[in-house]
Amino acid sequence: MFSITSNHLLSVPKSPGLYHQQSLEKHSLRWREKKSITIRCCYRKRGVEAKTADYYKLLGVSVDSNPQEIKEAYRKLQKKHHPDIAGQKGHEYTIMLNEAYHVLMAEDLRRNYDASIGRAGLGKDFSGLGYSSWKGPLRSQALFVDENSCIGCKECVHHAGNTFMMDDTLGCARVKVQFGDEDKQIEVSLDSCPVNCIHWVDREELPVLEFLIRPRPREAYGVFSGGWERPSNVFVAAKSFHKQLKRQDHQQHQRTAQGAGDEETTAQVKARARASIKLRMEQLSRLWSWMTDISG
Amino acid sequence: MAEPEYTVVSDSETSAEEKPSSSYPEIAIGIDIGTSQCSVAIWNGSDVEILKNIRDQKVNRSYVTFKDEIPSGGVSDQVALSEHEIFSGAAIFNMKRLIGRMDTDPVVHASKNLPFLVQTLDIGVRPFYAALVKHVWRSTTPEEVLAVFLVELRAMAEVQLKRAVRNIVLTVPVSFSRFQVTRIARACAMAGLHILRLMTEPTAVALLYAQQQQQVAHENMGSGNEKIALIFNMGAGYCDVAVTATAGGVSQIKALSGSVIGGEDVLQNVMHHLLPNLDSIFSSHGINEIKSIALLRIATQEAIHKLTTQMSVPIELDLANGSKIKTTLDRAEFEEVNKEVFRKCEGLVLQCLSDAKLQVEDITDVILVGGCSSIPKLRDLVLGICKRKVAYSGMNPLEAAVCGAALEGAVASGISDPLGSLDLLTIQATPMSLGIRADGNNFVPIIHRNATMPARKELVFTTSQDNQTEALIVVYEGEGKSVEENHLLGYFKIVGIPPAPKGTPEINVCMDIDASNVLRVFAGVILPTSQQPATPFMEVRMPTVDDGHGWCAEALLKTYGSTLDVNTFQKKIQH
Repeated sequence: MFSITSNHLLSVPKSPGLYHQQSLEKHSLRWREKKSITIRCCYRKRGVEAKTADYYKLLGVSVDSNPQEIKEAYRKLQKKHHPDIAGQKGHEYTIMLNEAYHVLMAEDLRRNYDASIGRAGLGKDFSGLGYSSWKGPLRSQALFVDENSCIGCKECVHHAGNTFMMDDTLGCARVKVQFGDEDKQIEVSLDSCPVNCIHWVDREELPVLEFLIRPRPREAYGVFSGGWERPSNVFVAAKSFHKQLKRQDHQQHQRTAQGAGDEETTAQVKARARASIKLRMEQLSRLWSWMTDISG
Repeated sequence: MAEPEYTVVSDSETSAEEKPSSSYPEIAIGIDIGTSQCSVAIWNGSDVEILKNIRDQKVNRSYVTFKDEIPSGGVSDQVALSEHEIFSGAAIFNMKRLIGRMDTDPVVHASKNLPFLVQTLDIGVRPFYAALVKHVWRSTTPEEVLAVFLVELRAMAEVQLKRAVRNIVLTVPVSFSRFQVTRIARACAMAGLHILRLMTEPTAVALLYAQQQQQVAHENMGSGNEKIALIFNMGAGYCDVAVTATAGGVSQIKALSGSVIGGEDVLQNVMHHLLPNLDSIFSSHGINEIKSIALLRIATQEAIHKLTTQMSVPIELDLANGSKIKTTLDRAEFEEVNKEVFRKCEGLVLQCLSDAKLQVEDITDVILVGGCSSIPKLRDLVLGICKRKVAYSGMNPLEAAVCGAALEGAVASGISDPLGSLDLLTIQATPMSLGIRADGNNFVPIIHRNATMPARKELVFTTSQDNQTEALIVVYEGEGKSVEENHLLGYFKIVGIPPAPKGTPEINVCMDIDASNVLRVFAGVILPTSQQPATPFMEVRMPTVDDGHGWCAEALLKTYGSTLDVNTFQKKIQH
C-alpha cells in the first residue's frame, strides 16, 4: 500500500525528489553522493530495500564502514549542506543526513536497520562457496591474495604457476588452486611478493574473503549506473559480513523454531513496527516537502 | 524611543579609534544578553572583536533606569550608574530571568525582594513589574526593558560599524522555553533587530572552542583529531551544561542540560543567611526598605566576590531601618548555605554526561565560563566530576559566549575567511523534548531532547472516542511525563475525521525545527483506504499561545473534557 502513495506523489510534476535534484545540482556537488541524492527521486523499489542504499549512500560510506568513517563523512557533508552554509535550501537534505547519522551511529538502530534491509548490499549473491579449488586434502590454512594491494607483478605466478593465476582484466593475481604447487615453491612465491599481499587465512574464512574481494556492480539508481566497487579493507569487511550472516541465521532459526510465524518475538514485532513507522515517516516527509513545494 | 542617544554618541570623538571597515556590510553581530551583563561582538574580517561602550568597557551592566523622561540602559552614558543608583528602585534588572514567566512561577516569587516592584496575583498571568519614579511605581514589562537596552546596544554597534545593524545572533540559556524565546524575539523586534540565529549559550562557547582547536590543529599541522569538551556555563540567572565533539572546525553538540539557577540564587541565599527575616521586612516596598535591601545586596555581592579569593570576609552593615549586621562570613559557611545550588549544578553536569553517553575519560577539555565559574566550590565540583585538575584556559569566561555568537553570525551570514578561520560549523541540538498531549494527560514526545537540528519527526495518533470527527492537538515542550509538568506551546483542532470506531483513523503529527529554531507542527488525517489526506493538512508555527498560557490548558479541559483527545496509534502492522 505504500507503493501506491509514492507512485501517486511521484506522478506530481514537481515531486520532492525532482526538487532535490535541481537544488543540489545548482549547488555544485563534487562528491559522488550526487548520485545518492537522486535515490529519492528514483524511489521505485518498494519499501525497505530501496531505503537501504539511502543511509549508507547518502553519507557516501560503505556498508561495512566504522563509526569513525561515518562521523567524518557526516561532518564533511554537513559542512556543505547545513542551512548555516547552504541557506534554507539545505534544510531537507540536512534532515536526511541527521536521520541517517542517527541510525548508523547507534549500534542497536543500525543493527535493526541492517536487518530490515536483509542481505541487500553485500551478501545478496553470496553462495558460501569459495572461488579457488583444492589440490590434495583440505588444510586448516589457505592462501588468499588481497587484490586491493596486489600490484600485478606476476612474481607469484612465475614461482608457483599451478597455484596462482593472473586476472588480466583486473590486473592482479589470484589463487586458482590451493596448494597447486609444492610447499617450497609456494613459500618462495610468498617471499617474492614485493607488497606482501599474499596472506595465510583460516580455511573457514576463505569463501567470504574470496567473495568480498571480487568487484561487484555498485547498486545503480535510475540513469546513473553505479560502476564497480569492493571493500577497501577486505579483512574488516569479512568480519562484519560474518556477523551479519550469523545474525540472519539466528533470526532465521528463531523464526522457524516458532513455527510458521504469527508469533514473532517482541523484538521482531518492534523492529517491524519501527520499519513501518519509518515508511510512514518518509511518506509524510515527502508529503510535507511536496506541499511546501507547491505552496512556495 | 532612545533615538536621541544615537546622535550623542556619534558626535563623540573618543570612540572614533580604529574601526573595522564596512566591507562586510551584512555580517550579523553576536549579542549576549546576560541576566547581569551584556556584550556585543562582531567578526571584523580577521578576528572576533568585542565592541566597547563609550566608557571603553566590553561588558555593559544589564539594567534600565526610568528615573529620567526616557528610559535608559546607560550604554552611552559617560558615567555609569553606581550600584546604589541601580538598586534605588528606579532601575529594573534581572529581566532575562523573569521574561516570559507567569505570576505562579517560583522564580518570579523569589524575585520579590528585588529593589523594584514585582507583584503577583498567582492566577497564571504575567506579573506586574514597576520602577520607582518620583515616588510613583511606573509599570513596565520585561520585553520593554530588554528592548530599551537592545536599542542602545544597537546604536552603539551602528556608530562603531558605521552601518545599519539588523541581523543578530542571540544567545539564550538552555532552559529557556520557546515561549520565553518568543518574548525575547519580541524585544528584539521592538529594537529593530532580527534574530538570524538563536544559540544556547554553551553552544556558542562550543563554537569558539571548535575554532580555537582548529587553529591549534593548523599550527601543529596536526590531524585534527576529535576533541570532546564539557562546557559549564553559569551566570547570574542560569546554569547550562553542554558536551560538544569537535573536529575540523565542526562543533557537534552531543547533549545539553540547563536550569534556572545562577548567581542570583547564590546571592539570595547569602542575603537570607545574613538577614533571615528579609522577606517580611521587605514586603511593603517602602523607600527605607528599598534602601536597606540595596545596601544588603551590595554588601553581599562584594562579600561573595571576595570569597572567591579569600577564605573569610567581614561584613559590617548599617541598614537604613536602623538594624545592623556585623558578622564574618567564611567560605565553609558560604558553601553550606548554597549547598542546594551546588547539588543542582552537579546534577546538571552528571545528566549531561550521561545523555552524551560519555565516560569522563573521553573528555579532552573542561571549559568553565560565566560569572559564577570563579566560585572555587563550583570549579572543584565540575573538575572533580570530570576527574580533572585544571580547566581549559583558552578563553575569557565572561566573553566566550558572545565571541561564539559573533562567529556564528559570520558563518551564517555567508562570510568566509581566506585563512580558514571561519571554516566552521555548529551542529546544534534541541534543548527540550517537543510533543503533544495524548493517552489521557500524558506528554508524548515527538522530537526528543538532544535531537540534532534541523530535525523532523513524525508520529501517528488516533481517536479516543467512537465516531470522533475532531481532534485537539495540544503541543507541549519539556521533559515531564504528564503535560502539567511541561510548557504549553499552543493548540489547534483537526476537523473532518471520517466517522469510525475509536482507534482506527490515522492522525499524523509531524514536527519540524529548522536551523533558525522555528518550530512548525504539521498535522492531518490520512485515509487508510487511499493513503491520502482526508482534509487539507494543518501547518502551525509554534508557539501560538500568548498571555495567560498558564490556564489555557485548564480552560480547554473544562470546555471539551476528553471528547477531542487523541491516543498513540497502535495498529497491528500488516505486511
